[in-house]
Amino acid sequence: MPTGARAALVVALIYLFLVGVSSLETGIKIMGADTQERLFSAVSNPIAGLCVGILGTVLVQSSSASTSVIVGLVASGALGVDQAVPMIMGANIGTTVTNTLVSLGHVRQSAEFRRAFAAATVHDFFNILAVAVLLPVELIFRPISGIAKWMSELLVGSGGTEWKSPVKKWVKGPVEWLKDLWDQLGASGNVKGALMVATGLVIVLIALAFVTKNMKALVAARIERSLNAILGKAGGLVALAVGMVVTIAVQSSSITTSILIPLSAAGVLTLRNAYPVTLGANIGTTVTALLAALAASSADSLTVALTHTTFNIAGILLLYVLPFAREIPVSAATLMADLAVRRRVLAVCYVVVLFIVAPLLGVAILR
Amino acid sequence: MVLSFFRGGDSGLDHVVTRSVAMVTDARHSFDLACTALMSGADPRLIADDVRETDLRINANEQQLRGELAVHISVHGPNDIGEVIGLILLLKKIERVGDHAKNILDLAESGVSFVNEPDIDGLLEERRIVSGFFTEASEILAEHDGIPQSFRERVDSMTSQIQSRIDGYMTSEQPGHQVVPRAVYHRYLKRIVANLNSAVFAATEPVRVAGNSD
Repeated sequence: MPTGARAALVVALIYLFLVGVSSLETGIKIMGADTQERLFSAVSNPIAGLCVGILGTVLVQSSSASTSVIVGLVASGALGVDQAVPMIMGANIGTTVTNTLVSLGHVRQSAEFRRAFAAATVHDFFNILAVAVLLPVELIFRPISGIAKWMSELLVGSGGTEWKSPVKKWVKGPVEWLKDLWDQLGASGNVKGALMVATGLVIVLIALAFVTKNMKALVAARIERSLNAILGKAGGLVALAVGMVVTIAVQSSSITTSILIPLSAAGVLTLRNAYPVTLGANIGTTVTALLAALAASSADSLTVALTHTTFNIAGILLLYVLPFAREIPVSAATLMADLAVRRRVLAVCYVVVLFIVAPLLGVAILR
Repeated sequence: MVLSFFRGGDSGLDHVVTRSVAMVTDARHSFDLACTALMSGADPRLIADDVRETDLRINANEQQLRGELAVHISVHGPNDIGEVIGLILLLKKIERVGDHAKNILDLAESGVSFVNEPDIDGLLEERRIVSGFFTEASEILAEHDGIPQSFRERVDSMTSQIQSRIDGYMTSEQPGHQVVPRAVYHRYLKRIVANLNSAVFAATEPVRVAGNSD
């Protein structure tokens, strides 16, 4: 496909993605206060919210998609900022499942597997550690959502919860058309709301998947040049910036971090080269939720999207900029990789427990 | 470095080809210098640093470009796998050419000199032809337009010529101090020609060359 046509397709897909987010918001609003209350109470415990964030992201294999859905839910009023913040943090943990699964592909070669698994789990450990440190602080003092709220007010003003987003107007037509379609097919009330939510979810997931695929094709040569530029260099802020830029371009941190795994397995990138790239991907992936917030009508949705960005930046300031803290995820990943090489089944157990069993138990017990 | 994302430039594989052409030029530089020490009476100690630094540069380039090929496959998937295999082989062949140029320098450093020997004109002519192969190989790699038949024929002819010289030295009744250095030199020369030939083949017909033991 010619570059111009592909670029136009990406623009159209982003528009479709925004329609999906708006449709999701509209659907929840149609379903009414009862449904919103049920959703609200299901994640009123922050740890349960965190677990829902992990599970949801593991399910769709994309934190961009899950955080966009969370933004849509906040916009509809089904979730408050306080409930959404732990879910956003959970999405950060859940998104690391993709590159960890990719690393399991190297399981038959010990040396390769050790490097690949360490490169994958350093992202896990960083995100888990960031949540372990920042979630309690957030629950007690609200510094992250506070900063996000301040930025949100700076951007859209503090006039109230309604925000007149210009993008909302652009996507209103297709959303109204969807509502009319379900009306004509005889749906009403909660059924119509659920169908709007389902349609919105499908549109968000499909549009994001195709945006990612086409953006990757558009910028593959640029990604290659950027990664070549950091080969053999000792990581640092440049690698972090490369991770961020590449992730913003492809709208998927999973793509960025998964590219690193075969390179780490082959020994082309060291663990310390790959580590900051994954942190940059953490920041880059927050742009999708910010984009989703443009299609939402509530200032809270923008606050939640900005919370995602603020949380990731705070995590890096706390755990990467401080030299002694920087080594913790690296050491943990190296240790985990050594254990996994000795007992391969541990690697599988690690993935199943961290990304499925523990969050399922968390939701079941705490909701 | 981050700006490399926004800048235009060669695509990954084109960049590797461009750099490999530079590596061939480096290898030729080493070969010419090493032969100068052996055939023109230049002091090997004066050129040793240059040859060794060039060899290190070739080795470093090979390692870096292999990494870039791994990045290419990671980013683009297996669509270009044939070309990537070819380029990996190509880089290895060029690296070996550099090693053999260094071996020729080692020969000169161990006291071998063909200056004022009766067969010097023939040796200089062989060196001139082989040095020309480097230039042709660079052009073939840069143009990426297949291997000209005349190049194949001249490479085959030179390989046969070198082999017959080696065979001759093996059965010669001349003293060892005359025959052995020539046999060793020609052995290196044959490997250089074979590796150059394999390099251009690897770039143009990667899978066929994959089993080649040169």
